Amino acid sequence: MMSARIGLGSVTRKVAFAPVIGRNQTVLRTLIPKRGVQIQSLSPSASEEILNAQRLKRPSSPHFTIYQPQLTWFSSIANRMTGGALSALLYGFSLAYLVAPDTFDSVHIVEFVAGLPDYVKYTGKVILAAPFTFHFWNGLRHLSWDMGKFLSLKGAYRAGYAVLGATAVSTVALVLM
Amino acid sequence: MASSMILRSTLPRTFASATGRNSLRSVLQVRAASSTTQYVPGGPILKGTVNDPTEFPPPSRTHGSYHWAFERIIAASLVPATAAAFVTSGSSYPVLDGLLGLSLVMHSHIGFDSMIVDYVHKRKFPILSPILTWTLRSATVGVLVGVYQFNTNDIGLTELIAKVWTA
Amino acid sequence: MQTASALRSSVRSSVRSFASSARYQASPALNKEFKIYRWNPDDPAKKPTLQSYTIDLNQTGPMILDALIKIKNEVDPTLTFRRSCREGICGSCAMNIDGQNTLACLCRIDRNPSKKSKIYPLPHSTFLIVTILNPLNTFAFTVYIVKDLVPDLTLFYKQYKSIKPYLQNDNLPEQGEFLQTQEDRKKLDGLYECILCACCSTSCPSYWWNQDEYLGPATLMQAYRWIADSRDSYGSQRKEQLQNEMSMYRCHTIFNCARTCPKGLNPAEAIAKIKLELAAD
Repeated sequence: MMSARIGLGSVTRKVAFAPVIGRNQTVLRTLIPKRGVQIQSLSPSASEEILNAQRLKRPSSPHFTIYQPQLTWFSSIANRMTGGALSALLYGFSLAYLVAPDTFDSVHIVEFVAGLPDYVKYTGKVILAAPFTFHFWNGLRHLSWDMGKFLSLKGAYRAGYAVLGATAVSTVALVLM
Repeated sequence: MASSMILRSTLPRTFASATGRNSLRSVLQVRAASSTTQYVPGGPILKGTVNDPTEFPPPSRTHGSYHWAFERIIAASLVPATAAAFVTSGSSYPVLDGLLGLSLVMHSHIGFDSMIVDYVHKRKFPILSPILTWTLRSATVGVLVGVYQFNTNDIGLTELIAKVWTA
Repeated sequence: MQTASALRSSVRSSVRSFASSARYQASPALNKEFKIYRWNPDDPAKKPTLQSYTIDLNQTGPMILDALIKIKNEVDPTLTFRRSCREGICGSCAMNIDGQNTLACLCRIDRNPSKKSKIYPLPHSTFLIVTILNPLNTFAFTVYIVKDLVPDLTLFYKQYKSIKPYLQNDNLPEQGEFLQTQEDRKKLDGLYECILCACCSTSCPSYWWNQDEYLGPATLMQAYRWIADSRDSYGSQRKEQLQNEMSMYRCHTIFNCARTCPKGLNPAEAIAKIKLELAAD
């Protein structure tokens, strides 16, 4: 790069490709003048400073949204989200009962739900049943991995599709209950 | 997708210069010493030279294998507990209902806690993370009391779910 | 000697021109667009961009690496990427191709010309909301880009070094070398083949979030490779190091590692085995 900028690129190339002179090292050496480079001695810690100064300018690599959607990590994040949502419901209800036991007692809740129109009831059931069944079946998938089962990639995928199937079937069953 | 990538990479860029970025960073984060190239968790500066291995935190089985095994035991025990809740009635087996409530709350607590460790660990969020951790702990205590009271004074969790489901 | 080399080169060039003219006649141009991530450290203020290159697949080898080399040779010599062996044994050309981390030299070009191939460096992650709250990148746990498709893997190598990836045994055999039964040797199959290309670690969501503390699938699989080795006597110390919240237990058995491994290895399985061994301890 340096030599190209000074304009030596074509000269060196010509020399290198010329069959007779190219093999003759003394000719080659006389053709390339010595570079006027000043050498500055730095301590090892200085090299780290230079590296760190470069590092601070570097951008992060692309965000994970460029990553292909795959059953592997989508089922994992779904497991966490369904678990989190159901737990949030449990926490929300229990804390509400703790604070206001007269408003959130079973009689009032059942009364409230009974008063809802049918389509709200069924939608609500799907919204509750689908995360619960998914988290339940996928939890079994996780437990079997932790016992050393289905640990091949094929096994993990088969178990994953089985979880999706079981979730669909049991969600429908629960909603119709 | 592409836009988020650009966003990811533009935003740090907008505070272009290295020193500018660093000084702004120091406002946000707890920093031990003052050097222009200071280690910040997640930043481009690494601890030690390129030849130093990374270090391990001090070993602790409570945070390691015991925690892992406890988490699995709770999760596994939820399977028969849930199955039992489906076939029996909570009000006739209050002990079962209580166990289910307790293990559900512990399972939830561990789940929330691992989310905090994964996404809002205290080395990244020195103020927010402890706040969340202690909020979670106090919430869990409150939830345990709430569940206990609901199971003793009211009809219990399984019975409630059954009644709401058929309401 | 001079005449011999001249003769050789003239023969070679005539053979080449004959071969290429035959190919020109055989197949018309099959142009495909490649969108490649670019960032130049000499112009650090300029944001990373995707640059488009269109090349004729009928004049290109079958693999993504062939396309990259063709672009570098014939279109844009500034395109920067790592490559060495071109046969999946050096692990240099790990990158994100059409959304999946893999080795460019082992990844076939999708010959559908209507589909653009997107090539990024190995990715990272952070919550978008965190990005907005914290544009300074402080909480991003990330791979940083050296140039174009070249990521800085220093941390990855430092982590690999931390597990002491070499045989440790204080009781040397009286003579000769350490011997091992065939069954014990078989335990290392599927572990020792790892080429440390970092495809798995940079595909792992847990590593995306916590890569400075979590070791990641590649390093953990190598940790298990030495735990499982019958000739190594430091197994208990190796396991003890992993007894903490971050180093290994951030693994949530997501399986992105096994899914993406260009060598067909299974880090998820190795980590699951370490967890079982630690629980049994």
